[in-house]
Amino acid sequence: MRFVFFAFLIFLLPLTARAELLDIKPVTSPGGIKAWLVEDHTIPVIAIEFGFRDAGSANDPVEKQGLARLVANTMDEGAGDLNAQAFQKELQDQVITLHFDATRDYFSGSLKTLSKNKDRAFELAHMALTDPRFDREALVRMRQANQSRIRSSLSDPEWMAARLLNDKAYAGHPYALNSGGTLSSLENITTSDLKKFHDTMIGKNNLVVAAAGDITAEELGIVLDKIFGTLQDITPPEIADLTLQNAGKTFLFAKDIPQTVIQIIQPGINREAPEYHAAQVMNFILGASGFGSRLTEEIREKRGLTYGIYTSLFNLDHVHGLTLGTSTRTEKVPEMLNLIRAEYQRMIDTPITQKELMDAKSYLVGSLPLSLTSTDKIAEMLLSLQLENLPIDYLDVREKEIQATTIENVSAAARKILSPKSMTTILVGQPLPKDNPEFEAVEIVDTLPNVE
Amino acid sequence: MKQLSFLIVLTCCAILFPLNLAVAAPQPVKNEVVATTAPEESIERTKVFNSESFTLDNGMQVVVIPNFRAPVVTHMVWYKAGAADEEFGHSGIAHFLEHLAFKGSDLPGAAPLKPGEFSKIIRSIGGNDNAFTSHDYTAYFQSIPVAHLDMVMRMEAGRMNGIMPPPAEIESERDVVIEERKQRIDNDPRAQFQEQMASKAFVNHPYGKPIIGWANEIKKMQWPKIKEFYDRWYAPNNAILVISGAISPAEAFQKAIEIYGVLPRESLPERKRPQSPVVENADSQLIIRHPSIREPIIQILYRAPSARQNKTEALALQVLEEIMDGGPSSRLYRSLVSEKKIASSVGLSYSGDVWDDASVWLFATPAQNQSLKNLNKVLQDQLNLLIEKGVSEQELSDAKTRMIDSAIYARDSLAGPAMIIGQALVTGLTLDDVEFWPYNIEAITAQDVQAVAAKYLNPKQTLQYPAITGFLLPEAPEEKPPSEENPQPARTGAQR
Repeated sequence: MRFVFFAFLIFLLPLTARAELLDIKPVTSPGGIKAWLVEDHTIPVIAIEFGFRDAGSANDPVEKQGLARLVANTMDEGAGDLNAQAFQKELQDQVITLHFDATRDYFSGSLKTLSKNKDRAFELAHMALTDPRFDREALVRMRQANQSRIRSSLSDPEWMAARLLNDKAYAGHPYALNSGGTLSSLENITTSDLKKFHDTMIGKNNLVVAAAGDITAEELGIVLDKIFGTLQDITPPEIADLTLQNAGKTFLFAKDIPQTVIQIIQPGINREAPEYHAAQVMNFILGASGFGSRLTEEIREKRGLTYGIYTSLFNLDHVHGLTLGTSTRTEKVPEMLNLIRAEYQRMIDTPITQKELMDAKSYLVGSLPLSLTSTDKIAEMLLSLQLENLPIDYLDVREKEIQATTIENVSAAARKILSPKSMTTILVGQPLPKDNPEFEAVEIVDTLPNVE
Repeated sequence: MKQLSFLIVLTCCAILFPLNLAVAAPQPVKNEVVATTAPEESIERTKVFNSESFTLDNGMQVVVIPNFRAPVVTHMVWYKAGAADEEFGHSGIAHFLEHLAFKGSDLPGAAPLKPGEFSKIIRSIGGNDNAFTSHDYTAYFQSIPVAHLDMVMRMEAGRMNGIMPPPAEIESERDVVIEERKQRIDNDPRAQFQEQMASKAFVNHPYGKPIIGWANEIKKMQWPKIKEFYDRWYAPNNAILVISGAISPAEAFQKAIEIYGVLPRESLPERKRPQSPVVENADSQLIIRHPSIREPIIQILYRAPSARQNKTEALALQVLEEIMDGGPSSRLYRSLVSEKKIASSVGLSYSGDVWDDASVWLFATPAQNQSLKNLNKVLQDQLNLLIEKGVSEQELSDAKTRMIDSAIYARDSLAGPAMIIGQALVTGLTLDDVEFWPYNIEAITAQDVQAVAAKYLNPKQTLQYPAITGFLLPEAPEEKPPSEENPQPARTGAQR
C-alpha cells in the first residue's frame, strides 16, 4: 500500500518531497475497452464510475426537456427478465449501489459493491446498461416522482433562482432548458423516447470508465468486457458552443420571503488558457475558500450581511463561467451588490499579497488528499479527469502549475474574468424599494421559466 | 456554524450517518457467534472501526481510529452540551457560542488567535474546518494533513481554555446568525413546519425549541450569558476527542496527554432538563397552509426511546426502520408508491443518538389526485399490519444482512467513522456499542421489532405522548381540510 509509505515520508519531511498523489494505472481490456484504475485492497469495496460523452441533457428536445435524466432514473428500474421490484430488491439485498445520472454534457453511471457480491453486481450493471426494460409502470412512477420534486422545489428560492439564471445566461442554447424537466415536458416523454435515447446515446465509442478499490488490473480487464463489451458504437449529435447572454443585466423574480437569494454569473476561463491555474488561485482568494476569502471577510465577518457567500469557476463542454451565490435580508440587497462589485474591482486593481498567494497555493495543493479518502471519491476523480480530456499525470501537472503561479498571473486572470460589466445578476425575493438607485436596472420576471 | 449544522438544526442528526445505515462490520459476522453459549470473553469478536480509547487524567476521553489510506487526519472535539442544555429564555446560546468560538481564542505558549484566524490557519495548511451544534452536543472539527496535527491540537486545546470575541465581532456575528436562521427556516415553509412539529411533540422539553434559537431570543442574547454557558460546559472532562486517520493510537494518545492533558478538570453541573408533562386533551394535529407549497406533505412524529434510554429497543427500532424504509423494496415504498400508487414518496426515520427521547418520523407526499386523508389512513394501516402481524423471518434476516453488510462501507471514509463514534459517545453510548453494533443487530428478533412498534407507534392505543400528525398544505381555501375533527388551520409566522 503506497499510502502507508507516503504517510511516513511526509511525517519526516513535511510537505516537501511529494510523490505523485495517486498511482493511476491505465487498463485496456482484452476486448479493447479502456479504463483508469487505482487499486487499493484495504477495504473490500469496489467502485466503478462511467460516463458517455456528449450524451447529456443538452440533447433534450424543448418539448421533452428532462429526457436524459428520466432515462437515468428509469434505467435501474428493471432489466432483462427482472422487473423493477425484482431488480431493486437484488440491489438492495446485496447492498449494491447502481444508479445513473445525466449532466448537461454526459450520461453517467455509478456502481459500488462489496467484493463478496461483485459478480452479481457486474451482471446487474451489464443488464441495466444493455437491456433495460423501460416498463411503462416505471416510467410513470419516475415521471411522477420528478413532477413531485419540481412542485416541492417551488418553495426553494435557490432552486428558483437557478431556473431563472439558466434561462437568462444560456438564452438560445439547450443549456437554458431545465435538465430535470418541466411539469408538462415530462408528460410528453414516452417509453419509446427512453428506448431511442438508450439506442442512440449509450455507445462503446463514447464510453469513459474509472475504477477504484479491491480489484486488480487483470480482473478489471475481464470485468470491463463483461459489463460494457456488447455496447455498439453510436454517433452523438453536435452541440454548438455558447457565449453567455444578458451581460450587465439584473433580473428579479418576486417572492414574499424575508431574505433575497442572489446568484451572479459571468464568463470564466478555458481549461487551455495559460491563466487557468492562476484563475483558480484568484477564485480561491476571492470567494471559493469560504472562511478567509475576501468576500466572506468583507461581507460576512465585517458586516454580518450573510450566512454564506461563495464563488466558483466551472467548465462545461460548451461554455465556461464564474458564479457567485449568496443571500441577504431584502433591504441590504443594494449594499450587497455594490460590495460584491467593489471586491471584484479591487481584485483587478490591486495585486494580491504574497501571503494570500502562498496560503492559496498551500490549500489548493495540500487539500487534494482530503478528497481522495474513499473508494468512490477516487473513482469519481478518475472519471472527471478523463471526461475533461486531462492527462493521466494531471494531478502532478496541476500541482506544478499552481506552484508556479505569480502575483502578476493572478492579476492577469482577474483582469480577464472579473469585469462587473459582464455580470448577469439574478434575484429571488421581495422587489427593491423604488427610491433605490439599483431599482431602475432591475427587470421583473413574472413567470418562472421552464417549470410548468 | 457553518455547513454541517444545516441538516442537524433541521432534523437533528440526519446527515450524521445514522448508526443503522452507516456503522459497519468487517467481513466475519456470523450468526453462530451470537448463538453460541461459550463464555463472553472467549469469543473473538471483530470490531467495526478498530478504534482504541484512552481517558486522560483530567477526564477527557480520547478515541483514535487508525486509517492509513492517505496522509491525513480528521480531528474532532465533541462537547456534551448543546441547545437542550440552555437556560429557558435563552434559546440559541449553544449555537451562537459555536460561531463565536471562531472569533478569537487562546493558543498555549503563544499570542491568542485573532478573530477568523483559526480557520485561516487551517486553510493555509491545506485543511478544512467547521463546527456544528445539536440539541445534545457541540462539535468542532478539522481535516488536515497529519503533519500539522500537533499544531491543530494546540489550537483546539486553546479554544477549550478560553475564547475572547471582541464586542463588535459579537454584534456582526449576531447578524450572521439571524441571516442563517432566515436562510434555513424563515425562507422555507418546510423548515417552519418541522420547527413547529417538534415544538408540539416536545411540550416543555428543550427538544421542542429550535437549535438555532427563536429569533426574538437571538436578537437579545448577551455575551455574559454566552460566556456563562461556555464556562459551565466547555471542560476537558465534558469533552471527547476523536481522531481518525494516519496515526497510531499510541502516538495520538501521547500527543493528547501532552496537549490536552494539561487542561484542568472542572466541576460540571448535573445535566438536568425539564421533561414533558402528560397533557390531557392535547391537540395532536398541526395544519399549516402556505402560498409557496405546491406539494402537500403529511408527517407523523412519535416519541421513542433513545439508545441511551433503552439499547435493545433502540436497536429494534433501527431494524424496524430498515424493514419499513431501507430502500425501494422495503415495505412503505413497495406498498404505497410501487403497488398502490397512493404516494409519490414515503419514508420512516429513526435516530437513537440523542440524550433524552428520540423521535420516529413517518412522512409521505400523496400521488397526484390522491387525498391526504386516504394517505393518512393507509399509513396507519401499515403500522397496524406491522403491530398485528409482525415481520417475517425472511424480512428480518434480509434487513439485518443489509444493515450489517452496509456497515463495511462506513469504514470507507475518513471523517465518517469519527462522526459516528463521536455522536454515539456524546449521547451516552459506549465505544463497544458502536464497535460491536453488528452483533447487537444480529440479536434482534421479530418479536423485538413487533414489540417496539406496538409500544411506540400504535395508532389504536393511547401513547404516553400522543403522536403529532402534521399537514403542510398549499393555500387553497376552497379545499377541505384533511380531517373533519380539526378544521382549524394553525396560523403562524409563515404568513407575512
